[in-house]
Amino acid sequence: MANNALARIETALRERKLDRTLTTALAPLDRSDASAFIPSGVEAIDAVLRGGLPRGQVSEIAGSPSSGRTTLLLQLLGAATQGEIAALVDTCDRFDVASAAAAAIDLDRLLWIRGETGPPERVVDRAIKALTLVLQAGGFALVAIDLADVHPRVLRSLPFTTWLRLQRIVEGSDTVCLLVTPEPLARSAGGLTVMCTGQTRWESHRVTGLATEIRVVSPRRRVDGNARMTAVANDY
Amino acid sequence: MFGALYAAEGTDQTVLESVAREFSPRIEVCGPREITLDLSGLARLFGDARTIAHELRRTAADRGLQVRVAIAGTRTAARLFAHYRAGLTVVEPGAEADALSELPLSLLGELINPQSQIPNPEPFTTHHQPPTITLRQWGLRTLGEFAALPADEIAARLGAAGVEWQRVARGEDRRPLVATVAEEQFEQTLELEWPIEGLEPLSFVLGRLMEPLCAHLERRARGAAVLYVRLHLVTRAVHERSLQLPAPMHDARTLRTLALLDLESHPPEAAVDRITVAVDPTPGRVMQFSLLTRPLPSPDHLSTLAARLAALMGEGRCGSAEPVDSWRPGAFAMKPFAPRDAGVRHSDKPRRHDDAEFEHVECLRDSAPPRPVVALRRFRAPVPARVREEDGRPVRVWIERSGVGGGRVANAAGPWRTSGAWWDPQSWDRDEWDVALHDGVSYRLFRERRAEAHSAKADRWFVEGVVD
Repeated sequence: MANNALARIETALRERKLDRTLTTALAPLDRSDASAFIPSGVEAIDAVLRGGLPRGQVSEIAGSPSSGRTTLLLQLLGAATQGEIAALVDTCDRFDVASAAAAAIDLDRLLWIRGETGPPERVVDRAIKALTLVLQAGGFALVAIDLADVHPRVLRSLPFTTWLRLQRIVEGSDTVCLLVTPEPLARSAGGLTVMCTGQTRWESHRVTGLATEIRVVSPRRRVDGNARMTAVANDY
Repeated sequence: MFGALYAAEGTDQTVLESVAREFSPRIEVCGPREITLDLSGLARLFGDARTIAHELRRTAADRGLQVRVAIAGTRTAARLFAHYRAGLTVVEPGAEADALSELPLSLLGELINPQSQIPNPEPFTTHHQPPTITLRQWGLRTLGEFAALPADEIAARLGAAGVEWQRVARGEDRRPLVATVAEEQFEQTLELEWPIEGLEPLSFVLGRLMEPLCAHLERRARGAAVLYVRLHLVTRAVHERSLQLPAPMHDARTLRTLALLDLESHPPEAAVDRITVAVDPTPGRVMQFSLLTRPLPSPDHLSTLAARLAALMGEGRCGSAEPVDSWRPGAFAMKPFAPRDAGVRHSDKPRRHDDAEFEHVECLRDSAPPRPVVALRRFRAPVPARVREEDGRPVRVWIERSGVGGGRVANAAGPWRTSGAWWDPQSWDRDEWDVALHDGVSYRLFRERRAEAHSAKADRWFVEGVVD
């Protein structure tokens, strides 16, 4: 009797063409396929991430100022622009070209979208719209939005459907959508949260680098662990 | 059989060309008011050569042109006669040398037109003026006297160029007629029955114009390099927009979208009653995809995305960053986003002096840095700050912007003095510091050493960025 009921429900769904949406599951991520991830280029981090950030998912990097989140972002952009193209929605126009060149980002393959000054809500709204346009266009390996300098209050006021919509756009594509935020905000079910805490390293009154502790969190602890990234100072 | 038309000064070349094309599809423009025609086969339409010459002159006169017409068995002979004699001249084929024998030597120089912007039709004479002075010194006055001299003696005294000019004096052609191809116009115009306002109705009209235009481009294997949209307004003004396209394209939908996005940012001031869409054609691009790397989005796709982003974020806010050759902190330039094809990446290493053509082509993996490099989050406009110093070192920082903290300095590195562009009004002269505050945040500060006129900026502190 239960089987008959199930069969009748499935028939009703099929008639209304809802069977693909509600009863068809996406193929599970094949972790043995290296092309399903975008690596960071740092061995310790890629080992914890088990290959890198998964494509077709929304992931995030969260941390406070000087925690190393921008350094990690540039590392990921550098890896993504090797052979593919990437985009950066720079909400508050903080991108430093010299730092990007030092991180070996192929600037010709990076679409840089610069936000303007103004009321924070309007600035973030425009940035989200630009992010949506880029994701809908497709063809990018990594599309990152830098919300690190936006007050958490403004980010929390965004409706949750914002992130759900982004997830729906990248689902099934080869694009990694990456949010850089001051605190964990949103990620998709298959995405990762990378928490950064860092400290500038000094020697003899001179900055020698930045030591970042990275903690990776994912749903159901599929990928979970800590890593350390040590960045050297750039003479720019 | 060939004809030559030689028009009076100030003649409109396009009108002269249209007259010639009415008689023959194979015409060659030899100068700003000189055209030669291949008249083969016209005898069946018009009759003998003299009738053809009369028809040419009559047609030109109907268009308001005064032309000299010459018909001969060779182009060279026809041109020489057109330059020499007004009215109509007809020379029987095979009798060119005899007919030219009495013509003056000075005619040879008229075949070269240094004021013409059209390439010289007689290639061998490009760098050789006719040896008219030398020939006059020899006592020669006519083309016939020059043509009668032995060729080997001419070669010994005047070289190969002299022999070529001698052949011209006999009316011989050195090369066949090279037909001038009519310039094809890629343009569509539509007169509206009533004026339209707003982008939505304009979208339908643009779509209607783009379809045949793109079909024309596709038939000619061309793409549009520049798109022109001319809107004739009811106020008699013309609102013209031109779009430089990143790659040749002939997709009607893409071109319509780009035009609409541009008009959205630059709308016309009044209603439109006539629309013209034109393109500058260019040969289509040949694309070859790689089997080893992911394909890039097509230029049509990227240009549409760039136009949408420009409409959303503003002009000049989207593209690729480009480092500039400057020591100014934070210097960069923006350029349109146009990624190269996937594959190897050319390095930025300087070329060796002994081999300027040599380029380093690196494996993709070898170009990654060995270790991550600390990044700076740069404030595009430096944020003013107040700094308390002790013994010349900053000990406390107050930052005059909400959302950016300050506090007691735990560690400080500096100063590093940097200055430049002293000849430029926008020169810089500063002492830079890296400071770590007690809350763990590290900043790049600088103290401005340069005093600006009418400004108290000297010895002011600013925050350049956050080390992150």
